[in-house]
Amino acid sequence: MSEFLLIFISAILVNNFVLKYFLGICPFIGVSDEVTASLNMGMAVTFVMTFTAPVVWLIHTFILARFNLPFLEYVTDIIVIASLVQLVEMFIKKTSRALYNTLGIYLPLITTNCAILFSALFLVLRGYNLIQSIIFGFGSGIGFTLAIVIMAGIREELEFADIPQPFKGAAITLLVAGLMALAFMGFAGMPSA
Amino acid sequence: MNTVTLVAVLSMAGLGAFFAFILAILSKKLSVKDDPRVEEIKAILPGVNCGACGVASCQLFAERLLAKKVAVNGCVPGGAEVAERLAAVLGVESGETVKKVAVVHCGAGLKERKLRADYRGLKTCSAAVMVAGGELACTYGCLGYGDCDRSCPFDAIRMVDGLPQIDLVKCTGCGKCVEACPRGIISLEIWDDSYPLVTVACNSLDKGKVVRKVCPVGCIACKICEKLAPELFKIDDNLARLDTPKLKENDNWEKPLEKCPTKCIVKLSS
Repeated sequence: MSEFLLIFISAILVNNFVLKYFLGICPFIGVSDEVTASLNMGMAVTFVMTFTAPVVWLIHTFILARFNLPFLEYVTDIIVIASLVQLVEMFIKKTSRALYNTLGIYLPLITTNCAILFSALFLVLRGYNLIQSIIFGFGSGIGFTLAIVIMAGIREELEFADIPQPFKGAAITLLVAGLMALAFMGFAGMPSA
Repeated sequence: MNTVTLVAVLSMAGLGAFFAFILAILSKKLSVKDDPRVEEIKAILPGVNCGACGVASCQLFAERLLAKKVAVNGCVPGGAEVAERLAAVLGVESGETVKKVAVVHCGAGLKERKLRADYRGLKTCSAAVMVAGGELACTYGCLGYGDCDRSCPFDAIRMVDGLPQIDLVKCTGCGKCVEACPRGIISLEIWDDSYPLVTVACNSLDKGKVVRKVCPVGCIACKICEKLAPELFKIDDNLARLDTPKLKENDNWEKPLEKCPTKCIVKLSS
């Protein structure tokens, strides 16, 4: 049990995808100007990550590892992710048209979100079993959501701040991201999986 | 063919087919019924996404139209024709549409312009204006870098002799150029082709003396036009203003046009 908890906490805080590995920066900067939109984005990413993990694990264990085809890893990961993103897109379009319009181009772009691809690659690399994979995928998604929501909260406040002209826009956003990453380094002292 | 290749190809094909199959089933189950009229409406709309209606795109306009959030005659570039066709699709009255065209209020060509500085920056009006208001001696006149030309979604503007020439047939009155011009030289005027379009080709609020120094064709607020045709022309803030819609009933514009000492009253339509 503690092993699962360790994987989970480690994926969220200690080895946060955005703030430790700098993966998934594109939506992290792109959709983080509003808390609700970024929360929804985070949930979509979490969904895709959580379901990618077991499917990738199954394909890896029963096809790629068995027939000795490790070079197909990336391609299969992309197929799985693309299909799941398509599914999420259909689902969101059906359930919430407003959310569909808010996420806009970033929704199909989840396909090429490197955070998701890397969560698929990491779970193979670290030799997780099926349940560990699901927990790792879910934790990574929560970690991404956490980072993007914090970022959105800060950026909403920044709207009212008197920022010097040269730092306005993307510059201050990247500075904030850097400071957040520094703060998250504080978790590195915790035992990680 | 060796076995690794064979297995690789087969497994990839299998996986691809498997996911395709799942997606195909789910796309049927989760399909959203888009109103077929959206496509129909989009086909009628000009499709240039100019934003003159106040909605970001033609797609969105079509959706809002079906939700009755915008009016059938809301499409500015489409004008009366599009409004009628949309009304036919939706089975409602099209209502009145007012046709507007863009009119340029500056008549100084390249040789009439006097410079007060040498500008070597970016060749756009908006950039030139940012550098101490541009290089022209006249702080109201056309800079001639063609921001309006680039903004026009209907290819109705051509830069001739440093001035935008508006094709009154192609112009739909969407107002993109009005937004693009940093000097506010272009305005939208109510006009259909049943009467001649006349305008004051000057935008300068400077006093006559100042205008004379910087431009040979600027309005010097001499009030001759106001005297000759008081119902059409009016001097306000050192600039002659013409009540364009009144041209429909009143064709008393020829005399002021002739007598204007700086020839800044011009006829735009043929």
